[in-house]
Amino acid sequence: MALTLNDNPTDSRQIRSRLDRALRRQDPDLADRLASRNQKIIIRETRSLRWQDRYLLIVASILLALFLLRTGSASADEAYGLEMASEHGDSLALALNTDVEIEITGLVSRVWVTQVFKNDSLHWMEGTYRFPLPHDAAVDRMQIVVGDRVLEGEIQEKAEAKRVYQQARQNGQTASLVEQQRPNQFQTRLANIGPGEEILVSISFLQPVQIRDGVFSLRLPMTFTPRWGDRADPPQQAAARVVFTGNAAEQQHGLTLNAHLKSDLEMSFVESRYHGVNVHPLANGYHIALDGPWPVTDRDFELIWSPERQTDPAPAVLSWDDGDAAYALLMLVPPAAESVQLIAREVIFVIDSSGSMAGSSLEQASAALIQALDNLQPADYFNIIDFDDDAISLFPESAPASGDALRQARKFIGNLDSDGGTNMLPALQMSLQSDPVDADLRQVIFITDGAVGNEDQLFRQIETWLNDSRLFTVGIGSAPNSYFMRKAAEIGRGTFTHIGHLGEVEVEMAALWDRIQRPALSDICVDWGQPAETYPQVIPDLYAGEPLWLTARFDSLPSAVTICGQYDGRYWQQTYDVQPRLQSENIATLWARSKIAALQDNLLFGQPPEEIKAAVIGLALKHRLLTQYTSMVAVDKTPVRFQHETLDSQTIGSLLPAGSGPAVAFAATAAGWQWQLLLSLAGLLAAGWLYRRSARCRLSYS
Amino acid sequence: MMIRKIIDRPPRAVWAASLLAAVFFTLQALWIPAKAALGQVLVERAWHQVLAGRTDARPWPWADTSPVGILEIPRLGVRQFVLSGTSGRNLAWGPVAASAGGPIGLDDTVLSGHRDTHFAGLNALRAGDRILLTTPDRRLSFEISQMEIVDSTRQDLLLEPGVPRLTLVTCYPFNALRATSPLRYVVTALPSAADLPRPSAAARQTAVL
Repeated sequence: MALTLNDNPTDSRQIRSRLDRALRRQDPDLADRLASRNQKIIIRETRSLRWQDRYLLIVASILLALFLLRTGSASADEAYGLEMASEHGDSLALALNTDVEIEITGLVSRVWVTQVFKNDSLHWMEGTYRFPLPHDAAVDRMQIVVGDRVLEGEIQEKAEAKRVYQQARQNGQTASLVEQQRPNQFQTRLANIGPGEEILVSISFLQPVQIRDGVFSLRLPMTFTPRWGDRADPPQQAAARVVFTGNAAEQQHGLTLNAHLKSDLEMSFVESRYHGVNVHPLANGYHIALDGPWPVTDRDFELIWSPERQTDPAPAVLSWDDGDAAYALLMLVPPAAESVQLIAREVIFVIDSSGSMAGSSLEQASAALIQALDNLQPADYFNIIDFDDDAISLFPESAPASGDALRQARKFIGNLDSDGGTNMLPALQMSLQSDPVDADLRQVIFITDGAVGNEDQLFRQIETWLNDSRLFTVGIGSAPNSYFMRKAAEIGRGTFTHIGHLGEVEVEMAALWDRIQRPALSDICVDWGQPAETYPQVIPDLYAGEPLWLTARFDSLPSAVTICGQYDGRYWQQTYDVQPRLQSENIATLWARSKIAALQDNLLFGQPPEEIKAAVIGLALKHRLLTQYTSMVAVDKTPVRFQHETLDSQTIGSLLPAGSGPAVAFAATAAGWQWQLLLSLAGLLAAGWLYRRSARCRLSYS
Repeated sequence: MMIRKIIDRPPRAVWAASLLAAVFFTLQALWIPAKAALGQVLVERAWHQVLAGRTDARPWPWADTSPVGILEIPRLGVRQFVLSGTSGRNLAWGPVAASAGGPIGLDDTVLSGHRDTHFAGLNALRAGDRILLTTPDRRLSFEISQMEIVDSTRQDLLLEPGVPRLTLVTCYPFNALRATSPLRYVVTALPSAADLPRPSAAARQTAVL
C-alpha cells in the first residue's frame, strides 16, 4: 500500500482522495471496501510513536537489559567473629572452636561463651570482636587470652574505663575496651595481636529466662559464623589453596554446649527445640549437653522446660553466700490452672480520654476495653470510669456483667471523645475508694498513655487508697510513660501491659486477662526469720500460669522461709528449707540488679541524682554489673611492643618468621568504565530530549 | 513547579549545559579503555630499553612504573605488557605484578588486572590452559591448576617465597556494571614441567658457567 507510506499527511490525503475518485469511477464496490481499510490504516498512522518516545523506549530497554545482565553481587552480613585490621588490610578470623556453658537459676541464666581465634597473618593487628547477643542481655564478664597474656574484664566507672584503655594503648600494653553495646551485639576492640598468636575470647552475660503459659525457655542466638554470600556460579573448586588466610568455608567449626539447670523442682520435661541433647538428672537439677559435636549453624539454641504442676503453690529457693552477705531468690510456682477456682471479681475500667489520647490512642484504648468486656464472666461486676479534667462513671456503683449493662457500656465507649487535661486523682479515687460490691476481689484496670506530671503524688495516693484492690495499668501508644505505669502497677500489686499499636490489642489484652482472672495466691507474706532487704518491695499476687519471684539480701543465710497468703478463699502457709546445695552467684547479681532498678526509680521520688549515682556505682562495682554509669575494661600489665613501634608491620619486619613471605591485599581490579559510560550516554539522550523540546517550543511561539 | 516549567520549555542554557556535561562524562568514560590500549603501545618502547639493560625504563617521564614482562595466553590471543607497582594508577595502563621478593615468574608472583580492560578475558580461562610469561631474562611457561572466587574483605593473598607460581587476580563478577564488588577471581597457575628451567637448575647452570 503505497498510500500509507507517505509521511506528509496533507499530500497523502490528496493523493488518496484522487485515487479514490478514480477507483470509484471504475469499481464502486472495491472503492468502498478500500476506503474502510484505509480508514483503519489512517488511524494507525496517527498513533505512531513520536521520535522522542522511541528514543526514550530504546533507552529504557537498554537500561533494563543492562540491569538484567548484572549478576547478583554477593554481599556478606555484618560479620560475627574477630575482625582484624592493620595497615595491610582487614581480615576476618572465624572461631576455630566455640564452647558454651550455661547455668540456669530460676528466672535468669548465666551464659559463658568461649571462642578461639588465630591471627594467621604476619602482622600486628588491631582486632574487633563481635558476638550476637540476646536482645535483653549484656556482657559483664570477660576473659581474653592473647598468646600468653591474660586479660580479665573489670567493671569500672565509665570515664575511668576509657582513660585506662587509652593509657594502656599508649604504653604499648594489650588492652581491650567494651565501650558501648549495641542492642543484640557485643563488641570489643583488641589492640596488639601479634602475628601467629592464638586469641581466646571468653565472654559471659546474664540472660533472663522467658516464661509463657508455664513453660520456661532460654534462647541463645547461635549465628557465630558470618554467612558467606551466595556465590553466583562458582567456578570449579579444586583443592583449596591453603595460603589464603582465614578461609573458613572449608573448615569445620565445632560447637560444644553444656547447660546446668539448677532447681529442686520436679520437671515435667526438659527439651531442646532445635538441637539433639542428652539430659541427665542431678542432685541439684539437670545437666543438658549436646548429643554430639554440632556444627555451628545459623540455628539458635533453645531450651524449654516446665516444672511439674502441684495442687498447691510450690516454693523453690536458690541462694548465694559470699561471706559478707547472703542472697536468696524465692520462686513461687502456681498450681495447675484447673485447681484454681474462678472467683467473682469486681473489675473497674478507667479510661483516659484526655487530649493527649486523641486519634489512634483512644481507638486502641476503646478496642482494648471492648475486648475486656467480652471476657467478663456473668458472676463478675464491672464499671467504667472516663476521665480527663474530671471523672465520670458509667454506673453509680459497679453492676453485674449482664447483657443490658454490657450494651450500655459499649454505647458509653462509642461516645468517648478525647479532650481536656489529664487529671488522674479523681479517677483513681473513684475507682479505688468506691463502695464495695458482692465480689471477692476488686481489680482496677487503668488504660492510659500516662502523660502526667505529678507521678510522685499519684504513687502516694495509690499506696494510701489501695487496700485490697489491685491496680493493673495498660499503656497505650508507641511511647507511653512506661515508668509511671510500671511503678503504679508495682505499688498497686498488679502488672503493667504495653500495647504499642492497634494490632497488638487482642493478643496483649487476652494475655492480661488470662493472667489476672485466676489469682492463685494473694496477700502474700514472706518470713525469712531475720531482717531482709527484699525486691520487689511490694509483693504482687501469684496468678495461675505465671511464677512469682522475690530476691532478698541478709547478713547470713537463713535456714528456712515461711510463705503465707490467701489461697482458694482460705489462709495458706508453708515452710520451706533453704537448700545449701542450690547455690549460685547469679542470685547475688540478680538481687543487685533489682536493687539498682529500685534505686533508679527513686529519682522520681525526689532523691538527689548524685546520691543515686553513687549508690548504683557502689553496687555495680561490688557485683560487677554494667550500668549506665559503669563499663568494662580489661588491661594486662606486660608491655608487648616497644613504644616506638607502631601498629603497622613495617617496623617489625624483622620479626617475620624465616621462610615466610608477605601477604598482599587484593587490588581494586575493576575500572567500572561501562557504568560511567552508560550514565553519561543516558545524560546525552536527556540533553537531546531537552534540546528537542526547547526547539519545538520556540517554533510554536514564533 | 519550577522543574515542571524547565521540562516543558527548557531554556537553551539548560540543554546546552547538560549536553556539555554528558559529552564530558562520555569522553571521560571512554578514556579508560583508551588509556588501557594506549598504555600498552607506550610501554612497548620502554620494554625495549628494559631488554637493553635499563630495568627502570619508564614509558613516559612522569610514570611511576616500568615494564617487567610480557603476559601471553595463547588460547585467547592475549599479549600484554606487565607493569611493576600495584597501584590503581598503574592498573589503568596494564596488568601489574607483585612477587614474594624474588624475580617475577621465578618466585611466587601475582598479576592483577582490571576485569573490564586487560583481564576481561579471564573468565574464559580453563584449567590446563597455558600461560607464558616473558621476563627480560627468560620465557616461562605455566599451566592453570585452579580458579577460585574469594572475598577480598576477608582475606589476603599470602605469598610463599621460593615457590614458583603465577596467580592472576581480577574482580568478580565479570559483567557487573559497578566497580564495587569485594569479590576477586583468582587463577592459580603452576610451572609446566615441559619447558620451564627450574630456578635451582638455572642457578646451577650460571654457577657452572
